[in-house]
Amino acid sequence: MIPDGSSQASNKISKKPTYSRFTQQDLPAWKPILTPALVIATLVCLAIIFIPIGLFSLSASKNVVEVVDRYDDACIPSPNQKVGYIKDPATNKTCIRSITIPKKMRKPIYVYYQLDNFYQNHRRYVKSRSDRQLWNPKAESRTTQCDPEGQTGDGKPIVPCGLVAWSLFNDTYMLSKNDAALPINKKDIAWRSDRIHKFGENIYPKNFQNGTLIGGGKLDESIPMNQQEDLMVWMRTAALPTFRKLYGKIETDLEANEKITVTIQNNYNTYSFHGKKKLVVSTATWIGGKNDFIGRMYMAVGGTSLVFAIIFSLLYVFKPRPLGNPSYLSWNKNNTI
Amino acid sequence: MRLFPPFLDNDIFPLTIKNTLLQSCYLRNTEWACGVAVYTGNQTKLGMCRGIAEPKLTAVDAMVDKLTGAIFVFQIVVVIVLGIAGNVFKDKVGRKLWYVQYPKEGPWYELLVIPLRFELLCSIMIPISIKVSLDLAKSLYAKFIDWDVEMVDPETGIRSNAANQAISEDLGQVEYILTDKTGTLTENQMIFKRCCISGRFYGNESGDALTDAQLLNAVSTGSADVILFLKVMAICNTVIPVRSKSGTISYKALSQDEEALVCAAARLRMVLENKNGNILDINLNASPLRYEVLDTLEFTSDRKRMSVVVRECQSGELFILSKGADETILPLTYSGQQVRTFAEAVEQYAQMGLRTLCLAWRKLEEDEYQEWTSMFKEANSTLVDRERRVAEVCQRLERDFEILGVAAIEDRLQEGVPETIETLRKAGINFWMLTGDKMSTAIQIALSCNFVSPEPKGQLLIIDGKTEDEVCRSLERVLLTTRITESESKQDVAFVVDGWALEIALKHYRKPFTELAILSRTAICCRVTPSQKAQLVELLKLCDYRTLAIGDGGNDVRMIQQADIGVGISGREGLQAARAADYSIGKFRFLKRLILVHGRYSYNRTAFLSQYSFYKSLLICFIQIFFSFISGVSGTSLFNTVSLMAYNVFYTSVPVLFSVLDKDLSERTVMQHPQILFDCQSGRLLNPSTFAGWFGRSLFHAIVVFVITIHSYAFEKSEMEEVAMVVVSGCIWLQAFVVALETNSFTIFQHLAIWGNLVAFYAINWIVSSIPTSGMYTTMFRLCEQPSYWITMILIVATGMCPVLALKYLRYTYRPSRINILQQLERLGGPIQSSGIIEPKSRSSLDTDSVHEPLLSESPSATRRSVGPAQRSDSFRSQSPPDSTHTRKDN
Repeated sequence: MIPDGSSQASNKISKKPTYSRFTQQDLPAWKPILTPALVIATLVCLAIIFIPIGLFSLSASKNVVEVVDRYDDACIPSPNQKVGYIKDPATNKTCIRSITIPKKMRKPIYVYYQLDNFYQNHRRYVKSRSDRQLWNPKAESRTTQCDPEGQTGDGKPIVPCGLVAWSLFNDTYMLSKNDAALPINKKDIAWRSDRIHKFGENIYPKNFQNGTLIGGGKLDESIPMNQQEDLMVWMRTAALPTFRKLYGKIETDLEANEKITVTIQNNYNTYSFHGKKKLVVSTATWIGGKNDFIGRMYMAVGGTSLVFAIIFSLLYVFKPRPLGNPSYLSWNKNNTI
Repeated sequence: MRLFPPFLDNDIFPLTIKNTLLQSCYLRNTEWACGVAVYTGNQTKLGMCRGIAEPKLTAVDAMVDKLTGAIFVFQIVVVIVLGIAGNVFKDKVGRKLWYVQYPKEGPWYELLVIPLRFELLCSIMIPISIKVSLDLAKSLYAKFIDWDVEMVDPETGIRSNAANQAISEDLGQVEYILTDKTGTLTENQMIFKRCCISGRFYGNESGDALTDAQLLNAVSTGSADVILFLKVMAICNTVIPVRSKSGTISYKALSQDEEALVCAAARLRMVLENKNGNILDINLNASPLRYEVLDTLEFTSDRKRMSVVVRECQSGELFILSKGADETILPLTYSGQQVRTFAEAVEQYAQMGLRTLCLAWRKLEEDEYQEWTSMFKEANSTLVDRERRVAEVCQRLERDFEILGVAAIEDRLQEGVPETIETLRKAGINFWMLTGDKMSTAIQIALSCNFVSPEPKGQLLIIDGKTEDEVCRSLERVLLTTRITESESKQDVAFVVDGWALEIALKHYRKPFTELAILSRTAICCRVTPSQKAQLVELLKLCDYRTLAIGDGGNDVRMIQQADIGVGISGREGLQAARAADYSIGKFRFLKRLILVHGRYSYNRTAFLSQYSFYKSLLICFIQIFFSFISGVSGTSLFNTVSLMAYNVFYTSVPVLFSVLDKDLSERTVMQHPQILFDCQSGRLLNPSTFAGWFGRSLFHAIVVFVITIHSYAFEKSEMEEVAMVVVSGCIWLQAFVVALETNSFTIFQHLAIWGNLVAFYAINWIVSSIPTSGMYTTMFRLCEQPSYWITMILIVATGMCPVLALKYLRYTYRPSRINILQQLERLGGPIQSSGIIEPKSRSSLDTDSVHEPLLSESPSATRRSVGPAQRSDSFRSQSPPDSTHTRKDN
């Protein structure tokens, strides 16, 4: 005798939602909670894993033999005229340095140059290059990104264009041991992918470093781009203002206390912006060059978590706080007065 | 209107008021009808009355907007500072860097270039993805409501529906619920339950007069009083019986009360069989009776009674049969009849929350009737003041009644209404009942559904009065009492106001009334109009409360649209309310689930989702800012565009999207501890202070990622693309663990999203790394071959997460939030004791009692608002003594 409800109802029943655990928000779920046991165990595990890794990395780093020789100031005859000296093309820039090998170095030994305070990551600098031009002969004239080193004064495209290439590092090192030349292998110092894909084989430097303003090094216009490895290394811009770039490799072992004489052609101007130049001779291990940071951090994190674990355990023992005590619920507090 | 065959023979009908059906009318007793729709659209009275639904903005959205604004200001500050620093660096150092070739002197606007570059770099600080993520999440919340099988009305199969997908979070922050009574709290289904016939009570033992053996016995033996009572029930009405093809009779009635009476009479073998014009056929104990209805003295709200004059066809005798409210019928008895038993019956039934009707009759003499009927006709045809004249004439006949008895009709409360209201009140939600019904009924219903506690604990303060002065005095008095009880006693105070007093109060005494509204947890407003309902909602909204209006009828539409959240019950009064509402549900009791489960989860999830979105954007942005300090403050972007795009859109958005499946507490726990909703109401999970925690966390993580990367990728490894990818992967690893740490319940989807996203990150980058023309060609392969890369990742994760984990653990164990405690309880699985009611006004002091820890997301909110003078800080006062009725055990 209820007039309308039943007829309405029959229409709607068909729309009844289907049951599934997803639609009912009832999926089986894992609900971890931060019990003291879980947290302390996690911290202890962390410590157990991290401290050995830290020690291992530290020992790897300690095994790296590294010789660093800063030569920018030492290779200047008169400290008052650094910039004038370096800018004068006529001066003899040869500079002889001597380094001592502290420990036996096993091959391959890497020779790096290190620049400090050099902003290869400066926005104006980073953008000023044309990657297409480097592998595609047809894109030779794509130099719009390269300003202010895109074209020569008379409008010819520069290959490779841009500030990055223009400021190519051009100090050179000759090593000798006991008056015998110690060859530096400059093959395969660039990334393989750069040699194969990024720098083309049919492209030769053109109009490079011909302008009034000379930047860094010049390039041999008879060598195709895919063999200009120094340029490739240089054009892998660094993210930090202090960086090392691979100069070459020494393929012989060096014994401890050996004296190496380095003949440097000190061409590159870091004097106008107080940059430093360093020559680095180093071996490498699985973590790379000498880097104590990772090992120390691991030790620190492992140690801290161990300390945390101990503190938490002590707290747990001496100031136990049972989990889920309903009397902590504020609405229960009202009644406990 | 011209009708064509096969309907009528090309006939022309005029369209006049006579054949116009007004809106919401039912056309009955016809197989078909043809018609034209006229006067439709928004210019009609109904359309104009409906009001304009304003777009609704949730409190969470408002907070997110505020935070976005704050971040924007921060961004501008960063841009200005870095812009100045950049220009200074350029002049002091940059011009000496010959390899950069700065031009000697540029135009003045060169100064703006560096700030603009930083603006571009920092534009990612405000996550665009937040809008998309939130919209996706919100539509899923809405879907969950639609899908919920526990919110399907088992009787009708009507399921819940979220028409407005955008405001689910607000459900979790509701502070006031304004509810309609009839059809919302009650079923709007009148059932004859008890009666008192000539001093005898029927139905008192069984609770249902229809099964009372004594009454059935009296009917079958033909007790004259009872038969007469039943006759009035069956005849004195405007019900139309409809016989279906199968022979069963159903009744169509304008008033649910009448239908209830007729149905009950039919059950008691007094069957109203047929109504043919004025002729009524009644079947009593299988013997037919025929009556002619001579006049119907209609029901008006002033008269509060209706009568019919009938002639028994066989004997030719005339009667007037009448039914109506006790206060209008009982004074009309013939001198000498004892009405005390009836008055007592009425009182007794009203106490039970039943609606009462008094039934009375009188024999008429032929000439008395003839005399009267001519006056009645005359009165009915007067043009001036007809209603009053008719009423006067009716009164002449309606006198010297013999009271037959009292019928009690129950408008049954919907299933689970008292429990729902109790639970929601425990959750700190205040209830207001707005009804068009009269005060006594409203109060009865309010008592029976836990709206107010019964005396002596509960106290009803009535505001009444007809003139401004009276209302003013009454209001002052009530306000004073409320203030006193509010400040010292444990009483449950509710005020009751009727439409007239409300009108005056709202017009002239808005301030004291507002204060009262804030002080009082409960209010009953009776005899209110739809627009007054809307005004009350407006009033509460102006006090910055989150309001939810729930109703079922067309008269609730304004209120529903006005409120922050409108909930419609798809009930018997049609679907108007349900259509206008943001949410429609089948039964009032689903409100509990809607608020406590869906609202709460939505709020919690959105709180995490939105703050996390800011966290990850800030993380990447902070790294850019740090990087600018080592790149000559020139505005270089460390990341390539692909990584930057994918970071926001893909890597960091996908895992967190699945937090829409996260459940901090099980539904059962929430239902047992509705007080936990308080954390949502006061916005504890998303406020400037929790946001500061996330801000701090992103700053910390940015420092961790940046410092570790530039140290472990120093010197010969400092190639730009590689460093960038190490930083990005560091961020991705960290954020995976952040999401994991903040997830309370891991379903298979969360695992897939969090860890699958990491896998996807590498897959995508390997793909990009294998494209020769891309800037990062082979980078990712090179990195993945290096042990130092993986060692750096592990280091970043451990360094970034260890302090967060430790802090979270300390908080979790030594300063647990309520959610934490319940999580722990849930884990232990033991019985949970919970008692008391959260005092909603204790907000400010509850907050000060917790600590602020910036690195954690769940820090307490600041004071949310200060309203009125009564928000005192002594809120931890005992809400009820330990032995009070409110201390109860829930298991």
